[in-house]
Order: sequence, then structure tokens, then C-alpha cells
Amino acid sequence: MAHTARQWLDRIHALPLPARVRIMNVCGGHERSITAAGLRGALPAAIELIPGPGCPVCVCPEEDVYHAIQIALREEVTLVAFGDMLRVPVNLPAGEVRSLEQARAAGGDVRPIASPREAARLAEAHPERPVVFFAAGFETTTAPVAAMVAEGAPDNLFLLLSGRLTWPAVAMLLDSGEPGFDCLVAPGHVSTVMGPEEWAFVVDRHGIPAAVAGFEPDTLLAAFYSVLRQHTEARPFLDNCYPKVVRPGGNPAARRCLDETMEVVDATWRGIGTIPRSGYQLKSVYASHDARLQFPGYGDEARRRAGQMPAGCDCAQVVLGKLYPTDCRLYGNLCTPRAPVGPCMVSDEGACRIWWSAGRGRE
Amino acid sequence: MCLAIPMQVVAIDGFTARCSAKGVERDVSLFLMQDEPLAVGDYVMIHVGYAIQKVTEADALSSWELFDEILTQEPEPPPRADSP
Repeated sequence: MAHTARQWLDRIHALPLPARVRIMNVCGGHERSITAAGLRGALPAAIELIPGPGCPVCVCPEEDVYHAIQIALREEVTLVAFGDMLRVPVNLPAGEVRSLEQARAAGGDVRPIASPREAARLAEAHPERPVVFFAAGFETTTAPVAAMVAEGAPDNLFLLLSGRLTWPAVAMLLDSGEPGFDCLVAPGHVSTVMGPEEWAFVVDRHGIPAAVAGFEPDTLLAAFYSVLRQHTEARPFLDNCYPKVVRPGGNPAARRCLDETMEVVDATWRGIGTIPRSGYQLKSVYASHDARLQFPGYGDEARRRAGQMPAGCDCAQVVLGKLYPTDCRLYGNLCTPRAPVGPCMVSDEGACRIWWSAGRGRE
Repeated sequence: MCLAIPMQVVAIDGFTARCSAKGVERDVSLFLMQDEPLAVGDYVMIHVGYAIQKVTEADALSSWELFDEILTQEPEPPPRADSP
């Protein structure tokens, strides 16, 4: 059962592949492993590996980043966020405060954190000072946020929640009639929390081969082999190539925490628009912890309409797997990790950042 | 952001566990592991300070190899044409 990466590669090369087959992944961690291990170069030329919607920072609404910046600048609070969020720019002219990092430079009390527990501990240590936790993330990250709320958040802790569900973006692509991929590799740690069954619709409703994958090259290659074999034999099913961590039903305690504290609502994805039932919102019983209700919105209608990607930036098309990072006109010249224009060049999960960090230049 | 790493449980106190991986120790929450009893010596996958799944020792060790690779391959963004 436990084949090495080389053995999986040999099996893939032995398959009777069509002229072209496109495998999409929807996890920045997958894309990072694929790129770091150089898997694209090791696979037959017919196989295209497409990074899809796998970066929660990249799709976090511009309005939410703006809201967080304004709270940090105008309110007497400590604002905390996962490190990636601090450098995401909003669509404001140069010279204005365009990121949380710049808000900190302008005197705002903005701090990066690595865990929801840090936000709670900070609030406990300073009960007199409000702490606003700007929490973007997919299910894997939102479940720990839900745990922190369910366990009992301090009164002075407020959540600016931008949690998103992964599968509705894939459903949207498939329902569009032009999904742009032939096979799906489903995210390992999202499935650890939510269960692999969430991805059954890809097979059942759309007849697309699917496999849940882990992050080492051997489990990724096992998943590629599985979906390719499903594809060549026209026999799609949902495979689990990460069974050591992904169990049927996911993590029941995590799903319970999510159900207890949050509801699933229609949500905006930056540059993409509204995707039905794709976002998490705090339940009304937790309204006293909801920063959206406890602080002014600060964005007027004109700003809300500005909530797109920056001018000239193709991040939205990159997130949807319609363009490769290197297809963007800004990639590598006007947009680099040091001076990012779009969120895909900021986040460790963004395809542009991952490709640039691996030394991929413009093509 | 959805990457979890394996660590070994060193001590447990209520919903908090002291966990260790490759010489680094961290306090992590067990709040999401309420349906799966854990003991000192077990391995768990940790994501943003929360244990999200129990794994075997062999699986934990194979994951560490991957993270070593990723960490050595990506320090900071390369300088290249990236300079201001």
C-alpha cells in the first residue's frame, strides 16, 4: 500500500493518458508542496496541475480589510490578525493607509498572531482594552476560532470574522459549465475537520474524479494517480488518499463547535462576487462579540463597490484557476512579495507568492 | 494557512496539552479533540494552536520530513529582480 513517490510516478507514466488532462487543487498547502517538490516537471506533459481557490487571504473581501484598518486607526483597541493579513493592500491611492501593516506604522495597535488562543490570552491580560480579532480562513482555521468562542471568549474580545467554506467555490466553478479542470484533488486538512464526504458532489453531480490528498509528495502523487485512473477508465469516485488523518465524518467536535457558534451565509469573495452559503457568521447569541455589530462599519456605499482586486491585478482569475500566476501582467515586475499589489502575492497560500518564492519567472 | 503539523503530547492539563516537535515545545488546545481521548506520548496534528486529529507515530515522522524540506526550500522571498 505504502508506495514511494517514485513508484507513484512510474504508475502515472504507465497510464494511457489523453492529450491533455487538467487536475485542480484547492489548497495553498497542496500548491506549495507541488511547487517545492517540482512535481509539475516530473509528470507527463499531458498533465496540467492548476492551483484553484485555495487561499482564504486572497479572497477575503477588500471591504473587510478596509474595515479592520479603520477600526485599528479610529478605535481605542488592539487589533490582531493572522500574519498574512497584515500586508494585504486595499484599493486606496498611495499615500493613504492601505494595509494593516501601514496602520501599525501610523500608530494603530496592530499585532500578528498565530493562534486564536493568543487573541483570547491578550484580551484576558488586558480586560480594560478591547481586542478585535480579524479572522480570515477556511474551515480548518475557522473551527479553532469557533472552539475559542465556544470555550468562552473574554467579554472584551470581538471577532471580525471572514471565514469561508472551500467547497462552494468549487461548486460555483462546476455549475458555471466551464470549470476549467477535469479532475479535483480535495484539500486534506479541510477534510480532516469537515469530513471527505463534503466533496462527494463533485463526483455524484458532475461526474468529475476526485481524491482527498495530504501534503507529502507521495500522498499527492497517490491522489493524482487515483484521479487520472478514474479519468482514463471513466469510473469516477471519491477517493481518500490521506486516510491517516482524514476520517469519515471529519472531526465531530470541530463540526459541533462550528455549528454551535456560527451560521453559514452567502458571502463575498474578493474580485469574484457573492457565492451562496460560502461564509461563516457569528450566531446572534454571540452578537456581543461580533465586531461588525459592535463597531461602526466605516465603509460607505462607494467604498463597498470598490471591493475588487486592484487595477491590472489578475488575482481573481488566478484564484479561480483561469490564469496561471505568470499570465498576470503585474507578476514579477510591478507585483513581488516585497511590494505586493494583489493578495495572491502576499499570502503564503497565494499561488503567485508560491510560484515567485520557487523562482518561477515570467514566461 | 490550512497546513497542520504533527507534534507529540508531553503533558495534559484539562483542555491544554504541552506538545513537542523537533525540540520545540508549545501549549496547544485540546478543545477540538473532546471526542478522542488522548494520552501522553500520542501524536496530534496541530493547526493554529489547536489539535485537530490524532495520528500514528510513523505518520507523524513522515510529515516532519516534508516540513523540513519546505522550511529549507523557502526562507525569505529571493532577492532577484525583486529589489526596489
